[in-house]
Amino acid sequence: MSILSLQNVTKKFGQTEIIRGVSLDIRQGEKHAIIGPNGAGKSTLFHLISGRYSVSSGTIHFKGAPIHNKAPYEIARLGLARSFQVTNIFPLMSVFENIRCALLWSMGYKYSFWSMLGKQTELNDKADHTLTEIGLYDRRNFPAGELAYAEQRALELGVAIASGAEMILLDEPVAGMSLSEARNAVALINKITEGKTLIMVEHDMNIVFDMADRISVLVYGEIIACDSPANVRSNAKVQEAYLGEVASA
Amino acid sequence: MIKQLTIWLLFAATLLILPEIFDSLLAISIFNQMAIMIVFALSYNMLLGQGGMLSFGHAVYFGLGGFLAVHVLRMVEYESIMMSTTLVPLVGGVFGLLAAIFIGSFSTRKAGTVFAMISLGIGELVAASSLILVSFFGGEAGISGDRTFGPPLFGIEFTQDLHIYYLGAVWMFVSVLLMYLFTKTPAGRMANAVRDNPERAEFIGYSARKVRFISFCAAGLFAGIAGGLFAVNYEIVTEENLNAVTSGRVLLMAYIGGLGFFIGPIIGAIVLTLVNSVLSNYTELWMLYLGIMFVLTVMFLPRGLAGFLMMHRLPWHLGKTRLLIRPYVLTALPASIFLLSLIGMLEMAHSSAAEFVYLGMTFNSSGIGSWIILSTLTAASFFALRLTLPQLRAAWTAANTQSALKPSTAANGNPPLNPSLKESSN
Repeated sequence: MSILSLQNVTKKFGQTEIIRGVSLDIRQGEKHAIIGPNGAGKSTLFHLISGRYSVSSGTIHFKGAPIHNKAPYEIARLGLARSFQVTNIFPLMSVFENIRCALLWSMGYKYSFWSMLGKQTELNDKADHTLTEIGLYDRRNFPAGELAYAEQRALELGVAIASGAEMILLDEPVAGMSLSEARNAVALINKITEGKTLIMVEHDMNIVFDMADRISVLVYGEIIACDSPANVRSNAKVQEAYLGEVASA
Repeated sequence: MIKQLTIWLLFAATLLILPEIFDSLLAISIFNQMAIMIVFALSYNMLLGQGGMLSFGHAVYFGLGGFLAVHVLRMVEYESIMMSTTLVPLVGGVFGLLAAIFIGSFSTRKAGTVFAMISLGIGELVAASSLILVSFFGGEAGISGDRTFGPPLFGIEFTQDLHIYYLGAVWMFVSVLLMYLFTKTPAGRMANAVRDNPERAEFIGYSARKVRFISFCAAGLFAGIAGGLFAVNYEIVTEENLNAVTSGRVLLMAYIGGLGFFIGPIIGAIVLTLVNSVLSNYTELWMLYLGIMFVLTVMFLPRGLAGFLMMHRLPWHLGKTRLLIRPYVLTALPASIFLLSLIGMLEMAHSSAAEFVYLGMTFNSSGIGSWIILSTLTAASFFALRLTLPQLRAAWTAANTQSALKPSTAANGNPPLNPSLKESSN
């Protein structure tokens, strides 16, 4: 049973068609990677799924419900969380507040202006638990904007997973990291997305082929292959369009 | 928790004993003004400091609240309704809230420039209509009422400013407490999140627009309460109370006090009310000084007076505040001479009379001698400042640096190793 299903999704900016009829089914619990050359439309595809952009045509269903006309916050409430390629946190708030805010909706606080956050033991414990998980507990009271880059990336991840969403979209989670930082980040991602459905865009082929159950190859707005890592690696079309380019680079 | 309770109890106690210490009529009237402005400035900070909405028209909710409150005072006077004067500020608050619900329903769609421009437009619109819709706003004369007609409370009929002081102090205390508590709620905290990053707030399940709308309505409510207090205190409300000048003044208060701290706008309201009422007794140029103060704050203290005070937390924790005393005094001396002689020249340029008394000395603005003395003083103190400022800067750095023997995570730049990442790399 697929948890997320895209049918003939297109996206045009003016006359330019960036996504040209993408159909994709993501299975419950799988780790799915989307790869492709620069400008292929990977981030755009994420923006379409998460509601940042609206689709030009086609449909997107999450757990059977249409989400292609919904606002980002409505999609997030359904249990589809995402991270961003460029770190996108709440810079003036403390690390703890960042995580706590990410938990609020899923714990049913909505727009409450009567419950005192300091007294919500379960909420605060859960926020601290997430902080421990992403390894930022000792940075708890720091302004998020003052963290080191790798720490900000970890927080970015924490904000995405805090709510306990079933499905998580990660946009280049290890971009810009050193080799050892990236290895740590991958271990962290594996740990905190256990049992969840994960889609990620990533440029590092070692990581992609290591982590993913299935890989989709997006080239010029079209998916040219969607298969297991081994089959994608041996796919002639993929080698020609994408992997060959990397090898020659 | 205990610490917080102590602060609030101290605050309440201060409000109780203030009129015992400063019991002159002038002091009481200044306190009343301060109470009004504290509520108004804090309500403004719910928009700008907490919610990231730059409003140029916040006086609309203050003024509308005030106008409705003064109408209620009149209705009580003509016996068409019965209401205690103590409750009139709440009427202002409810009307401010209603106005905010209506205007906020479309103006909070976006923050940034769009919001600022809409607030400016609404501000001008309401101020202009207030001169046209005479029956509600009373034209240029405004509307006046009489607060003494309500049923007396414990025998008090609000005939004196001191009675209003206690009324204002209670309303101010309650409003400040409620606005503080609001910052501790999910809606208040999400207002910060939306201020920091509206896009990400949407991806964690919150509509940025709705979060802004809630803050906007709360800000309207408390601005209306402040307006209601104004109506009870002055018994007259005019167009001036909802126009751009008042909107600008509340922005100055919040900014000079410091947007990033809850206490900032309170400090701003106190300082600017003092400047407004005390300085205006001494000089006609007080508006100019206020403007200079604002520019200097924006340039040198972007986090306002509260931010300046908070900057000293680190030296305080390190026990190095002592290092700063000498350079502060050394800088303050030429700085005050510089300011005083500059002010002297400004006043001389402004004065129409030739003979001119300033700081107990007589100057002659038509003679060249006075100008030479003051400009020499200005120049000399300016160069003295250039000598003392580097010392102050060096002392500041020293006071904020930890001695090498006591390393701590807060002060040095190296983040401690991340325990979970360390584990996984093994």
